[in-house]
Amino acid sequence: MAKMVENHLSNDEFFAQLPKLFDANGEKGHGSIYLHQKRYIHSTDADTPSTTKQLDDPLWDTHPEHPLPIVIRAMNSKSDKWDGPNRPGVMDRKESKKVKISTMVQPDQLDVFYARYAEVCKMSMTALKKRDRKKRKQKKRKAGEGEKKG
Amino acid sequence: MPFYPSNAEWFEQSSMLIKAHPRTTRITSKYTVIDPSSSNNSKRRQKKLAKRKSTVTGENATATDDPLTSVVATFRLTTYDPVSGTNLQYQTDKAAEVGRLVGCLGRLARTMAALPDATTDFTLPAESGTGISTPTVEGGNEKKLGTTVAATMEKPIGPNSGAGGGGAGGKKKKKGKK
Repeated sequence: MAKMVENHLSNDEFFAQLPKLFDANGEKGHGSIYLHQKRYIHSTDADTPSTTKQLDDPLWDTHPEHPLPIVIRAMNSKSDKWDGPNRPGVMDRKESKKVKISTMVQPDQLDVFYARYAEVCKMSMTALKKRDRKKRKQKKRKAGEGEKKG
Repeated sequence: MPFYPSNAEWFEQSSMLIKAHPRTTRITSKYTVIDPSSSNNSKRRQKKLAKRKSTVTGENATATDDPLTSVVATFRLTTYDPVSGTNLQYQTDKAAEVGRLVGCLGRLARTMAALPDATTDFTLPAESGTGISTPTVEGGNEKKLGTTVAATMEKPIGPNSGAGGGGAGGKKKKKGKK
């Protein structure tokens, strides 16, 4: 299962799978979703300079020659340590599977990707507190008047 | 392992950490929906509540109308760099912040990918690679910021000095609010 992580989905497939991950969480009524992001690093990296070059410039990784892709990974919080015969809700946990999906975002696609990503997150994270509009509006009005006079 | 009270502060610190260790730093966002019936957390919370209420009224009460139990879900952002062991966190329970936070994640991803910031000027990519360019560019930004701040400060003041004028501006704003 761990090796499956290396098979990255395309960005479109990732956005097709991500809401499902959130939905599965919603069906249960509780649980966690983890979203990771980090720079993509090749194991045999052509970008990695030789050791002598690294010694010459210890900050070589802060200014690579060209932009690098980003890896985004999403997973649910299925965890083996809670599995036991006497725990409440154990059937629920056994039935759910650990799901890991990941995708690689090319540097030129970042802005488009994150716009979609924000939409999916906003749609999916429904259990968070909604904004109290009345108070905000009053505050904004007051602040606006203050600025005009000042 | 600091928790930041504002997302702007978290963003700023994370941005600096990523600039310093772009290869190893990663960001983890965790969206949690708390289970009110069976999670450890809620048991702990109910105990706390029971204690608190028993001290006030001397009786056990149900945990329905307390602000602690009204928190159903949280969204936590963690920037972690395994090399330096730095761990910067921000947590919210407000739906309105999600869009802004994912926007922050996008900007941080640009830094991770070694792309120039969307907000800064576009002379950076041409100069990048020299290594010397970054401090000079930052200096330039600071100067620009300084001038803009000075300009905004001077507008309502006129010929007065900077410090005295700032105080006057503040007073005017306060009057406006009343």
